[in-house]
Amino acid sequence: MHPILSRPSRLAAYVAMWVPLGAALASLLTLQHVFAWPAAVAFALPLAVAFGFLCLSSYYGSHASTRDDVPRTVLTAVAAAFISSGVWLLLARGWLAVLASFGRITTGASPFREAAPTLFWFGFLLYLLAFAVSFLSHTFEAARDAERRGLELQVLAREAELRALRSQVDPHFLFNSLQSISALTTADPSGARRMCLLLADFLRDTLTLGALPRIRLRRELLLAERYLEIEQVRFGDRLRIDIDAGRADDCLVPPLIVQPLVENAVTHGIAHVLDGGIVRIRAAAGATRLVLSVENPVDPDRPRGKSTGLGVVNVRERLRSAYGAMEARLDASEADGVFRAQLELPIEEATAYHSNDAHRHRG
Amino acid sequence: MRIVIVDDEPLARAVVREFAAADPEIEVVAECANGFEAVKAVAELQPDLVLLDVQMPKLDGFEVLELLGRDQPVIFVTAYDQYALRAFEVHAVDYLLKPFCAERFEEAMGRARERLRARTPVPVEELMRDVKPRAGPAERVLIREGPNVHVLPVDSIDYVEAQDDYVAFKSGGRQYLKDQTLTAVERTLDPTRFVRIHRSYVLNLDRIAKVELYAKDSRIAILRDGTRLPVSRAGYARLSELL
Repeated sequence: MHPILSRPSRLAAYVAMWVPLGAALASLLTLQHVFAWPAAVAFALPLAVAFGFLCLSSYYGSHASTRDDVPRTVLTAVAAAFISSGVWLLLARGWLAVLASFGRITTGASPFREAAPTLFWFGFLLYLLAFAVSFLSHTFEAARDAERRGLELQVLAREAELRALRSQVDPHFLFNSLQSISALTTADPSGARRMCLLLADFLRDTLTLGALPRIRLRRELLLAERYLEIEQVRFGDRLRIDIDAGRADDCLVPPLIVQPLVENAVTHGIAHVLDGGIVRIRAAAGATRLVLSVENPVDPDRPRGKSTGLGVVNVRERLRSAYGAMEARLDASEADGVFRAQLELPIEEATAYHSNDAHRHRG
Repeated sequence: MRIVIVDDEPLARAVVREFAAADPEIEVVAECANGFEAVKAVAELQPDLVLLDVQMPKLDGFEVLELLGRDQPVIFVTAYDQYALRAFEVHAVDYLLKPFCAERFEEAMGRARERLRARTPVPVEELMRDVKPRAGPAERVLIREGPNVHVLPVDSIDYVEAQDDYVAFKSGGRQYLKDQTLTAVERTLDPTRFVRIHRSYVLNLDRIAKVELYAKDSRIAILRDGTRLPVSRAGYARLSELL
């Protein structure tokens, strides 16, 4: 359906727009002494409105054309303008006859012949204008559509990326853990079994938690603890664990938001310090903000150029997609051989998510 | 065959020890938890073979290899490292992937014995070139003096001089010798801070006080501490480009 014909209010506005154009045509004809004033108005106004309806056809012509084929579009426009203007001339002639039969026309011997060139060019140019407006609006609309589709694709791509990040388990971690199990099987069979179970729990939680929108901090920290216990089997005394979340335990967080920071603490921290040290995780809930921190010792002589790892980048990305640009932040600092990553999140109500993770995960 | 086990993880060492115990021809002469201990143990014990973990604190496996030189046979042990594995394959350096079984371990020992008999040198420089470029220019230079390792930050290097089969790193009036070519050194250093001014010299740009014309077509660089070094024509062109 035509966008102007589809709504009465639009149609009224469109018809109203043609009234001043009709007045312009009337004054043009008066200036050329074709008609006297009242006759010119009686002749031109209804004709202009009628031409307005003819111009509506430009919508179909312009929509059938494509942006890429310029000569064809121009040809279509000119041909359509020529035909419409011609049809309009026939209408004008009829209208003139009607007016003459009512005795309204008094000026000139053959008024149609005098008025015809003005009418033709007037109609021709206005039709081209209508065609151009219609064509441009169509083009803009198509561009906006393409842009929106592009944005939708971007959002989809980002979601896919986040899913991939969530399910990412560091291959180093996996192979090293398997090596530990292999070593334990002869030396300490029950230790080997415990390690297998820890690893299974960790992998299962990584897979299931990642699918939820928010989880209790308690769940997140339990996962971190399992991870650290597995790494403790590898690193022995070099890795010590200290986790305390106090009453912040119940806060909601995006799943696996702390985990990359804890993995960083081991792979970029503990693993490079000869005597190792403590990985310390703390959480404190204020009235509106939750502050989480992960601290670990670092090698003061380590090469400076090395990045802090993909983990920090991933966490920032996930914060942005979970809370928007301003609501949450991740800061990293280093002092006296201790690296500290600090997360600040808004505290959210559980009712915002129909999350039943509290009773869904019981081992 | 006398072997040294180098791994920072006690359990990883335990596996190797267990497999080695099953072979009466293998004697584990030392177990090291880091690269410094490894260099010391190798210097003092002269083992036939070193089993070397790649990921370790302070000095990683490649840095240890660089310090041990091309005459010390090694087998790398690693969990997962795509770049390193490709480099090992290309340069036919033997490696074990964690976790590995007893059969795979025996196989590696068999190959090591053959290499020992054939005295196949370890392609250290080629391997380093393929493993390290992704890390960017070096930030420190490792130098071995007997059982000790010196870690020299590149900022502290005044200049590097080629001396017969060695290069000498000059730093604050001291000199450290390393079994390497000057071209290999030049390649690892940051090209915006170090420049080859002469066939035999690579200079730290920060140390230059001035450059003087010495004779026709030959110049001399005077360092802040008064040291005078020859500058070749090509070296002067490179130097002018940077200054």
